[in-house]
Amino acid sequence: MRLLPALAAALLIATPAFARDLTVIGFGGGFQDNARKDLFQAYAKESGQPVKDDVWNGEMAKVQSMVHAKDVEWDVVMVEAPELVRGCEDGLFDKMDWSIVTKAKFAPGGTSTCGAGAVGWGVALFYDQSRIAHGPANYQELWDLQKFPGKRLLRNGAKMTLEIALMADGVAKDDVYEVLATKEGQDRAFAALDRIKPQLMFWKSGAQPLQLVGSGDVAYAVGYVGRTANAVKDGGHYPLMWNTLLYSYDSWAVVKGSPNAAEGMKLIQYMTDPKPLTALAQDWAVSPATTVVANDPAVRAKNPAMVANHSDEGLFIDTEFWVEHGDDLEARFATWAAK
Amino acid sequence: MTRFLLRVFTVLVIAFLVLPVFVIVPLSFTSGTLLSLPTPGWSLRWYQDFIASDRWMLATENSLIVGAATALVATTLGTMAALGLFLGRFRMRGLLMAVLSAPLVVPAVITGVALYFAFARVGLNSTLAGLVLAHSLLALPFVVVTVSAALAGFDRTLLRAAASLGAPVHVIFIDVLAPLIAPAIASGALFAFAISFDELIVALFIAGPEQYTLPRQMLAGLREFLSPTICAAAVVLTAVSLLLLALTGLLRSRET
Amino acid sequence: MRARLLAACLLAPALLLVIGILIVPLFFDLAMAARDPELRDALPRTATLLGEWDGRGLPGEAAFASTAEELSQAEQEQRIGALAQRLNFQRAGLRALLLKTARADLAPPYHETMPALDARWGDPTVWLVLREARGPLTPLYLLRALDLDLTPSGDVAPVPLDQAIFRNLFLRTLWMSVVTTLLCLLIGYPVAYTLTTLSPRWARIGIGLVLVPFWISILVRTTAWLILLQRQGPVNAALQGLGLTGGPVQLIFTRFAVYLAMVHVLLPFVVLPLYGVMRRIDPVYLRAAASLGAPGWMRFVNVYLPMTLPGVAAGALIAFMLSVGFYITPALVGGPADQMVSAFIASYANETLNWGMAAALAALLLAMTALVVGAARLVVLPMPRGVG
Repeated sequence: MRLLPALAAALLIATPAFARDLTVIGFGGGFQDNARKDLFQAYAKESGQPVKDDVWNGEMAKVQSMVHAKDVEWDVVMVEAPELVRGCEDGLFDKMDWSIVTKAKFAPGGTSTCGAGAVGWGVALFYDQSRIAHGPANYQELWDLQKFPGKRLLRNGAKMTLEIALMADGVAKDDVYEVLATKEGQDRAFAALDRIKPQLMFWKSGAQPLQLVGSGDVAYAVGYVGRTANAVKDGGHYPLMWNTLLYSYDSWAVVKGSPNAAEGMKLIQYMTDPKPLTALAQDWAVSPATTVVANDPAVRAKNPAMVANHSDEGLFIDTEFWVEHGDDLEARFATWAAK
Repeated sequence: MTRFLLRVFTVLVIAFLVLPVFVIVPLSFTSGTLLSLPTPGWSLRWYQDFIASDRWMLATENSLIVGAATALVATTLGTMAALGLFLGRFRMRGLLMAVLSAPLVVPAVITGVALYFAFARVGLNSTLAGLVLAHSLLALPFVVVTVSAALAGFDRTLLRAAASLGAPVHVIFIDVLAPLIAPAIASGALFAFAISFDELIVALFIAGPEQYTLPRQMLAGLREFLSPTICAAAVVLTAVSLLLLALTGLLRSRET
Repeated sequence: MRARLLAACLLAPALLLVIGILIVPLFFDLAMAARDPELRDALPRTATLLGEWDGRGLPGEAAFASTAEELSQAEQEQRIGALAQRLNFQRAGLRALLLKTARADLAPPYHETMPALDARWGDPTVWLVLREARGPLTPLYLLRALDLDLTPSGDVAPVPLDQAIFRNLFLRTLWMSVVTTLLCLLIGYPVAYTLTTLSPRWARIGIGLVLVPFWISILVRTTAWLILLQRQGPVNAALQGLGLTGGPVQLIFTRFAVYLAMVHVLLPFVVLPLYGVMRRIDPVYLRAAASLGAPGWMRFVNVYLPMTLPGVAAGALIAFMLSVGFYITPALVGGPADQMVSAFIASYANETLNWGMAAALAALLLAMTALVVGAARLVVLPMPRGVG
């Protein structure tokens, strides 16, 4: 009969709390650990509003089910660009309240109907220099199986991988999306991938490139620059080939129907302001979408790994392209990869 | 000769089954950040990480609460069902057993999707109560089968004798049936706890971040962080599981 | 009679739980494989008008007008996404077309201004796709789950080869599950038998050891394999040390790794029922056969094996059903060519939000499982159950 109080306790925990804390959801990793300190809790201290944070993996299904069931547990989420556009069209995110969030402070392309630019992120080619003295320096060299033997690691999906394939095949950066929009271009990308397929492996989670390069299971990988740069800070030898950068911006969005919507907008305004962002940029290699911080020479000098430092060398991942062609190309990639 | 070869084979297979898990133990003590052997050094930092982490502690707490509640619910419902099947002597016994076994036959993914939709209608997604219901559903067949097996060997004439002697129903239950099936009920309860403790796929669908169980958190860890903290968590998880195994062993030896 | 009533009351809660939260929702879910609500929900008037159109040539100005107006309204109210995804699923590019049209400022006569905006509005096949989507039911998802497609004229045609994935996927899932089950049986049978030949104390220890992995989380076991199978890991080191390989071999993210991990997980499920059945076999029968002069192998094949068949069937069934539902282990240790259907169901449900496809694949998977289980029952049931 001691079980009865335990059962009662369990049921109590089960009932949803009504006055819920402001909840912000990110993608996890080192970024979130530092953001918790410099953005979320800093806001909590200044505003007196408690802020909770948690992680997701971009599963829009969770957001959709919350909004449709009118039981929204998440207030502010960090979303990748295509999901932001989709979510906005599907009525899952609120339109940004530009009376609370200052639109002018963002770099061009850093805002959209339902989102305010949070951070830039990128992927680039790297390898373990303690194992391999001299690795490929660009995508064409990555495709050279003779000169650079060993396994290659690319992302398990069409996005980013097809652009890389075209660039390796000789397409100029500025022409990549134009070529990829045509059937011939798509066939060309898959043909290029076929050439290195026997030596190709795929990663599904952001932590895998570092793990697999570090353990020697792959020779060269295209992975997130933030994590890699941080591993270098911790003593690893992973040279990043910046001319192979592909980058994009993640945005903050407010979930439609959130009981803390207004507070959420205020949080977003805070998180994109220069002071908190500069503090964050000191602790973790991010590229803010707030112009004044991105251009701050002190911030740039402190973080040579900031995407903004290299964006002219890199390729901006075209959001609209992937919103339009994403379903199709991802399906074709899945079929191709499964053969 | 055959016997000798068979025994060697058996030892090798058992080694194959048991040993691999132990590779996790040294890794939980590594001083490096990668999940590779050999370890560069030794350190307790991952255990400290595990204990200091709100997320891991919440997951442990959730796993224990949900496991205990599942054991309670599944054992109660399952034992009642087994008794009902035994006493009722229904003609459709086969069909009823099949229905009760449905959670076993339906692949976990499909169960996850079905529960997700059912719960969405009544707001049970992302709640501990929903998780308890879901796990009880999954554990139910095991309890029913275990208790039914114990009842199968029971001589019904004893029941009739007791009834004819004027014993009321509850006395029959407490003095006649209960001692017989008590070990099976206990086994079933432990089984139910273990199933809930290790369950991952349904939790993937219906648990929100506040309800993450240890396996769910481990999967997030494997996908996101790939740090040796997962190994520390795994060692803790395994220790609890082995403890439960020892308990079932004790119960079973008392049964025979 | 009162006993029956009592029994029914005892049985009821469990039955209600299973029927209420599993069986009934399952039917509703599987129904989603055939439902087609998006067009009707987003553009109700258009759906009705398209229903009245005979499908020849292009629909009238009323349909064009209704489409333009309702699209624009849906876009403003943020209701357009589901429809865009549904149509884009049937034909790539329609999403962009819908959005472009919804945001454009069009004026009548729409049957001229819409094709002027985008030539696709003058293409009858586009309108046929819209018409097909008016619902309430569609065979599209089930067809796609079998690598078939619906042409605009309503015929069924195979999907282009570079997009055909599901038939192979089902065959692969079936094949991998069968191979895993067979491996478990081949390994588990001798082990179970050996355990029965041990003294009671050793037998208990043996079974206890077999149960140990059973009680350890699947994720923990999978993580262990992830670590063991690395290039610089212990298994490769052992292989090289034994002289079996010249250099490190890639073991992780291969089919071999998947089979290894799955057998590791499923073996105890097979050994347990086998052991349970074998333990109850009275050695009297074997001795009788021996005394009648039957050689060892004949005793095994004709006497022992048939008596263990219920255990074999039980173990095989459990192993097969569990491996069909698995996807986490193959997802973690296997390559893209080793994934099983369940992974796609989870992906459609959790990531892409395509419930139609998730339900269609789930329905087919359930059907496949039911067929195999049914076939197994037919084979096992007529067999003599042995005595005891």
